[in-house]
Amino acid sequence: MSRKQFIISAEGVNKSFDGFQAIRELTFYMDVGELRTVIGPNGAGKTTFLDLITGRTKPDEGKIDFMDAHDLTRMSEYEIYRLGIGRKFQTPTVYTDHTVHENLVLSLEGSRGVFRSLFSRLNSTERDRIEDILKTINLSAHSQRKAGALAHGQKQWLEIGMLLAQNARLLLVDEPAAGMTDEETAKTGDLLLSLAGDKHSILVIEHDMTFVRQISQGRKVTVLHQGHVLCEGPVDEVQNDERVLEVYLGRKARAA
Amino acid sequence: MIKLIFAVLLSWLLGASIYAATPREIIAKALLIEDSEEQAKLVTSLGDSDPQEVIALLTLWKEGGIFLNVDAAGAKVPVTLDEEKDGEGKQLAHRFDTGAAVGKLLASDLNAAETDSALRLAMKSVLDMAQLSSPDAKKRQEAVETMGSEQDPERLPALLARQTRETDSRVKRAIREAIALIQLKDENDAVKIAACNELGAIRSIPSQDALKAIVAEATAESKTNLANAAQLALNEIAKHVTFVNTAGTAFRGLSLGSILLVVAIGLAITFGLMGVINMAHGEMIAIGAYTTYVVQCVFGPGLELSPFGIHIALPGMNATGTLYNCYFVLALPLSFLTAALAGIALERGIIRFLYRRPLESLLATWGVSLVLQQLFRLTFGANNVQVSSPSWLSGNWTVNDVLFGWNRVFVIVFAVAIVFGVTMLLKKTPLGLLIRAVMQNRQMAACMGVRTERVNMLTFALGSGLAGLAGAFISQIGNVGPSLGQLYIVDCFMTVVVGGVGNLIGTVISALGIGMLDQSLQQILGNPVLGKILVLLGIILFLQWKPAGLFVTKSRSLEN
Amino acid sequence: MKSNRNKIELIIVAIAAVILIVLLPALNAAGVVSNFTMSVWGKYLCYAILAISVDLLWGYTGLLSLGQSLFFALGGYMMGMHLMRMIGDLGQYKKPIPDFLVFLGWEQLPAFWVPFSSLVFSMLMVIALPAIVATGFGYLAFRSRIKGVYFSILTQALTYGAALMFFRNDMLLGGNNGFTDFKFLLGADVRAAGTQRGLFIATAIVLIAVYGFCRWLTTTKFGLVQRAVRDSETRVLFSGYAAANYKLFVFVICAIIAGVAGALYVPQVGIINPSEMQTDKSLEIIVWVAVGGRGTLLGPVVGAVVINALKSWATRAYPDLWLLMLGGLFILVVLFMPKGIVGLPAQIRGLLKRKQTPSALATDTAAATP
Ligand SMILES: Nc1ncnc2c1ncn2[C@@H]1O[C@H](COP(=O)(O)OP(=O)(O)OP(=O)(O)O)[C@@H](O)[C@H]1O
Ligand SMILES: [Mg+2]
Repeated sequence: MSRKQFIISAEGVNKSFDGFQAIRELTFYMDVGELRTVIGPNGAGKTTFLDLITGRTKPDEGKIDFMDAHDLTRMSEYEIYRLGIGRKFQTPTVYTDHTVHENLVLSLEGSRGVFRSLFSRLNSTERDRIEDILKTINLSAHSQRKAGALAHGQKQWLEIGMLLAQNARLLLVDEPAAGMTDEETAKTGDLLLSLAGDKHSILVIEHDMTFVRQISQGRKVTVLHQGHVLCEGPVDEVQNDERVLEVYLGRKARAA
Repeated sequence: MIKLIFAVLLSWLLGASIYAATPREIIAKALLIEDSEEQAKLVTSLGDSDPQEVIALLTLWKEGGIFLNVDAAGAKVPVTLDEEKDGEGKQLAHRFDTGAAVGKLLASDLNAAETDSALRLAMKSVLDMAQLSSPDAKKRQEAVETMGSEQDPERLPALLARQTRETDSRVKRAIREAIALIQLKDENDAVKIAACNELGAIRSIPSQDALKAIVAEATAESKTNLANAAQLALNEIAKHVTFVNTAGTAFRGLSLGSILLVVAIGLAITFGLMGVINMAHGEMIAIGAYTTYVVQCVFGPGLELSPFGIHIALPGMNATGTLYNCYFVLALPLSFLTAALAGIALERGIIRFLYRRPLESLLATWGVSLVLQQLFRLTFGANNVQVSSPSWLSGNWTVNDVLFGWNRVFVIVFAVAIVFGVTMLLKKTPLGLLIRAVMQNRQMAACMGVRTERVNMLTFALGSGLAGLAGAFISQIGNVGPSLGQLYIVDCFMTVVVGGVGNLIGTVISALGIGMLDQSLQQILGNPVLGKILVLLGIILFLQWKPAGLFVTKSRSLEN
Repeated sequence: MKSNRNKIELIIVAIAAVILIVLLPALNAAGVVSNFTMSVWGKYLCYAILAISVDLLWGYTGLLSLGQSLFFALGGYMMGMHLMRMIGDLGQYKKPIPDFLVFLGWEQLPAFWVPFSSLVFSMLMVIALPAIVATGFGYLAFRSRIKGVYFSILTQALTYGAALMFFRNDMLLGGNNGFTDFKFLLGADVRAAGTQRGLFIATAIVLIAVYGFCRWLTTTKFGLVQRAVRDSETRVLFSGYAAANYKLFVFVICAIIAGVAGALYVPQVGIINPSEMQTDKSLEIIVWVAVGGRGTLLGPVVGAVVINALKSWATRAYPDLWLLMLGGLFILVVLFMPKGIVGLPAQIRGLLKRKQTPSALATDTAAATP
């Protein structure tokens, strides 16, 4: 009975949209402290899976538990967030009419209550933390600019910064490298690797195999196909798997 | 014995002579007879003559319109006087029998032909009979119903006589009801009990009060049998009343639902499919209603308008009869057309700039709604205008005491036709295909070469045109005035929101549901306003359960 | 630049405060400013308060509520009930209860009317009733995530339903005539110039206070969340904020502000009836805000005053054309002036900039204008 604690355990999850089965009998376990990469062809249901975890959509069937204690399927988005689950969306979603600084203030960990928000002021540690994050995401110079005016890649970084500010226990990162230069992509990878550990578990969705290779480093990679886990294992193993070649890389090869 | 023979002889004689005689001649004869018993007999013999004439002549006599003039020869001549009086107050007199003029007479010099009670009784029963034999079944029914409600035993013979001859089933039933009602006044309890049973059996709603009175009376006199019989009848009737009310409510609910559907279906297209909040939708309805009004005026006496001091006179065709009744047939397509054109103007002028900003299209179209309302006011006046229904829309049927107004039946048929038409249009025509394509994915459709601008315009025109069509309808069942649209706009939005945006079936179901609920609450609470408020409350609560309406159309973007 | 503009706004507000609270009343007492002018401006100030509440909802939170006229009228009714009680037995029927109740055959005061004899209770109700209605409705609406135009439509329905209710005589609130013929407030004659002046000062103080409160509110973290809700409500949920609670809070606050505005309005205009709460009124307030400039706090005040001044003039000069003007103006503002009057300088600057960017002149003009 000495099972390691799962940060996320999903069992028998099904979800269909207007008759289209986006997630099919999905079973997925992830350990506390793990950095897991999920790959899969377009429309495999990767983003939908994150939607299910974060409460954006509710499954038709199945359960998704957090830390073996909280049934996420019964909770609303903000309750799930407050458990310590943060998310970066596939298309960068920041508060476009707020400044970069304000975006981070909004994301900073701390109380989310209405009345607290009336009287809370940033203390010096919080201010320092925002400065740190701004440096990390390389936006110090832009802190007073409206987030909507940033370049695509900068928005990606800002959203990563917002994730950092939250200091979540589980980070769900949907295609962070999209729209970034190779250099930036590598930097993102380093950042994620440095975060992974007992305090943070990370689930990354990515198409860019170089990036996947960089961050997985022999860790487990999950291949999703048609809403179902096709196989799991280290990246090399997965890449040579018959089925994966068939449905994923095979398709890619044919397209190329 | 001798008297009897004499009577038979006399009646035979009279009968023979009457055979060819007109009612006028008979009455002229009766007027000259002194013996009131004989007069009564002659009057009674009128029973077989043309009822209309009999009614007219006897009423004239009864009301003192026939005078007895003594001519130069000293003979009495019954005369009638013209209305017109000359300088001395004299009126022109005509012989009652031939109609020939007999010179000018002073009314005060003349004696009106008298009637005594026996004669009046005879007249009354002849009049009753005459009314009961009116060729128009509706009139007969009315006459029977008044006789029943008066519960006058003297009318019983006439009714009984008519009962044997009546062929129309409604009148037959009315006669049964009237006879039973009158019999409730009978001396004999057995007759009363039989009458109670009869009333119960035919479920006579109008007799409830009379029966209640019987119950009270019989209980007071401790006549248990009678009281029980009356109570049983009352119970039967109460059951029937419940049925009638339920059926009536269901029908009214259905027709209200159809009205909602007709007014909301245009909105279901502009709001539901296009996502445009058109607060001027109500005014599109009003445009249709005013178009109907103008068409009606052109078919009728013509129309003069003076908006902004500009005088516009539309000549009228002064049509009557069938042609006039046809105006509505022409008004329908015209209403659609004008409203559709207004819709195109609105879409091209304002809405197309605001497709991505729904809240602002709400505001701008509200501005349009204000402007249009004021334009109606300036053009057609601040008061309601009169739109008369063609005769084929203004009757009703009563089936088993449930009233079915033709306009309500028609609106149901019309709603079905419109839904069918719109569904076909969307499903089966190229335009429908384009509309659906653009609504599902604007960019994609544009990439595939669809001219989305045009499709938007046509879709909006369709929605507005349907609103105009609804307006043509509303003009038949409600008032047409500058703020007509305001009356319906909230209902329209509620219907579409509850149905689920972007879904015609949802709109249909929600319109019928809201209509039924509204009418049922109104029936239960006996108060239309309270009912309406409860419906609104119900809708708010309903949206708790299904926030996106009955049928949800999902969208993927984070902000929808 | 931004703090610069803030400073200018503060100075404008301070000057306005002095004029409204001190100068105008003093001039009125001295007989320089007529009572009529005072009463007209008193009305405008009430509208300005109301307009701020609409803007806090719409401009700052993205909630286009068509229910603000309802809350305004509710506040007005609560105050009106007190004023009706203060008539005492000086009504036409010389009875100790309001005339319309006598007319409806009441001998005694209905129980719910009794506590309104107290001004304190009535003032509490001015706040409590809008707050309660807003909490109940807002809770249901926000809980089920009704937003955008759906929220507008639903608030419209709420207002419509309430107006239907208030039009009924058996609500015992005066039916479609509402309340009028007020006589006393705090023992003084309401119609007297002195009382009206007092009410004017009170309104001006409330306006400045509401302005100050909203200004403070929008600079707190609450204000950040509020604007975030406006721009991207779903994203807010993924930042851990219960958007519904924030919206509910603003909605209730705005209902209270509107209620207070209504309560100040009624003794100044001397009448309240259900036509005040119809949805058209709500939309009219939105016109004020749109014309003045939404998303700013000065905008609604400017809009309320400008449009109502225009209305006073137009309904006398061109009564037939007023609604055409209002509607047309609104359409134009929505289409071409999304930032309203207050945003006009910036908009013009933007236009100039876009046209002249290639020339060196542009930077000069932009720098020269504050
Ligand atoms: N809200 C929704 N409504 C309807 N269909 C949806 C919805 N969300 C997802 N889907 C469908 O579910 C399928 C899976 O989508 P999902 O976005 O999860 O794929 P993905 O693996 O993230 O793909 P990609 O690599 O392109 O991001 C797709 O076919 C998509 O159309
Ligand atoms: Mg995806």
